[in-house]
Amino acid sequence: MKELNVEALARVEGDGGITVTLDGKKVKNVTLDVHEGPRLIEQLVRGLTPADDLNVIPRICAICTLSHRYSAIRGLEKALGIVPPEKAQLTRELMMLGENVESNSLHTFLLALPDFLGYPSAVAMLNDYGDDVKRALRLKKFGNHVMAVTSGRIVHGENPILGGFGRYPSRKELEEIKLKAHELVPDAVRDVELFASLDYPKYSEADMVFMSVNAPKKQYGFAGESILISNGKEVNVEDYRKLTNERVVSHSFAKRSLYQDKTFTVGANARLVNMGKRLDGQAADLFKQHFDERWLKNPLMNNLAQAIEMLWSLEHIPDMVDTVASLDNPPIEKPTRQNGSGTGAVEAPRGTLYHHYDIKDGLIDAADIITPTAQNLDDIEKHMKLTAERMLAEDKDDEEVRLGLEMVARAYDPCISCATHLVTLKRV
Amino acid sequence: MHKLRDAPGYSEEGLRLELERFTGKRKVYVLGLGNTDRADDGAGTIVAEALKKRFPRFSFSEQDGIEGVALDISERGEAAVVIFVDAADMGAAPGTIRVIPSNRIRDTEITTHRVAVALMRALLEKGGNTALVIGIQPTVIEFRGKLSDSVRDAIGTLTDILAEILARAD
Repeated sequence: MKELNVEALARVEGDGGITVTLDGKKVKNVTLDVHEGPRLIEQLVRGLTPADDLNVIPRICAICTLSHRYSAIRGLEKALGIVPPEKAQLTRELMMLGENVESNSLHTFLLALPDFLGYPSAVAMLNDYGDDVKRALRLKKFGNHVMAVTSGRIVHGENPILGGFGRYPSRKELEEIKLKAHELVPDAVRDVELFASLDYPKYSEADMVFMSVNAPKKQYGFAGESILISNGKEVNVEDYRKLTNERVVSHSFAKRSLYQDKTFTVGANARLVNMGKRLDGQAADLFKQHFDERWLKNPLMNNLAQAIEMLWSLEHIPDMVDTVASLDNPPIEKPTRQNGSGTGAVEAPRGTLYHHYDIKDGLIDAADIITPTAQNLDDIEKHMKLTAERMLAEDKDDEEVRLGLEMVARAYDPCISCATHLVTLKRV
Repeated sequence: MHKLRDAPGYSEEGLRLELERFTGKRKVYVLGLGNTDRADDGAGTIVAEALKKRFPRFSFSEQDGIEGVALDISERGEAAVVIFVDAADMGAAPGTIRVIPSNRIRDTEITTHRVAVALMRALLEKGGNTALVIGIQPTVIEFRGKLSDSVRDAIGTLTDILAEILARAD
């Protein structure tokens, strides 16, 4: 038996590895092992006030800090009977656009792209692709800026609170964001063209099921009250457990999810499969131009999906800024009850993120958080197994197989810290 | 003189002299890294935030979007010295402060919310700057853990040294 290892999966967030067990050319097993220790945050927040929960929960992850905060706010507001003012809702959407630009620029250019261009890292790309790397950093900087202006800080901002915002962005801050977003749109268009020009290996291709929120008003967006499934079904977010069906496996600290006993995909590709027709602007044109059958089978297409989505976010920011700036700052809405339950579902850059809360006498009685990476783990293993089988059938050497597997894992933009490095080949 | 632990010949004075040799009369920036939610891991951020009070144009932390700061510096053509400060597992005693050799900085490192130090360093050097990384050996990095006494001491020592360096360069 032989074991192919990627013991420390570089260029993903957190501590994980891949183990492939081989019997000759036959792949017996492929596992994505999550070594990142559990932090028991759901237990940590029991007994806290909802406001205190918001100080702890975003600490789950510094990449998706605002997605965690927003999902928690949505769940808690429902539980407490709070209806947020329109300006709060729109400012939250603006902060999510910023997080999307920040995270997608980091993942596509600095984490995924080196694999496609044959470099070991973004550092090695610098001499030949210096302008592209700088473009990615400019986009990330802008995303960070939008996050800081809306939430108060780049990481773990505390302005978004239950019932509104502690402080709304000023007109001057909003105007600066609008101008910069306009300026960066051509950069994002170039990014889409670059990712559309890449060769996406077919080894991982298989039928996929996609899930994402259904953004309201038939628009594209990052939050909603129901979940769209690519099989045509739609499920209320309060019934999220029927979709995620979490279970524990022995080789990983992260829980796993199956829908109707099948793996499923969440992330930018899922959002574009389910809501791509709702895009507008140049993002819509480029999506129509580049969307094809591959998107329904090949997880690597998530990289192009993230580039298109980042363009949409940039194009959407000026309109959102105008609307937010046109509204007066409303007072903070207060809870109307002290007992209740509620589920928030938002689209973090790497997929659907659920926060469910039960509130009893004004304190948190139970919390349940299901991250996108936890939902994707079984799907990643499925597509890695296919990749290993097909590459070995073509007599690819171990190094090529390792890279093929890492590319699949990285395509999902996994956040292992959230879900609780990388390939081991075992031969029997 | 504060003798740095487990680093024979590596004294506070030695570190000061090494940094003075690196910086000369050039402009100096300090970029502090690390997650303050994970105790000693946030050492670099704490150093930079302390220095920012006196040197707001020359000291930045994770809270400022560090790769954006590095990008801006790389495009200024100042031939500056950029000092990264971060918690680093050097296999040394807790609180040890060392300049980390460039060949020990991983290209593929990625932390929770920024690009690799190696990329920022390469970008800065491509722009004509000199970059170096100072590591502080952590001992406690648990989520919501408490800063260890040894790292707290090291933060104070390094902040004082870097304040002198920045004051000379300002």
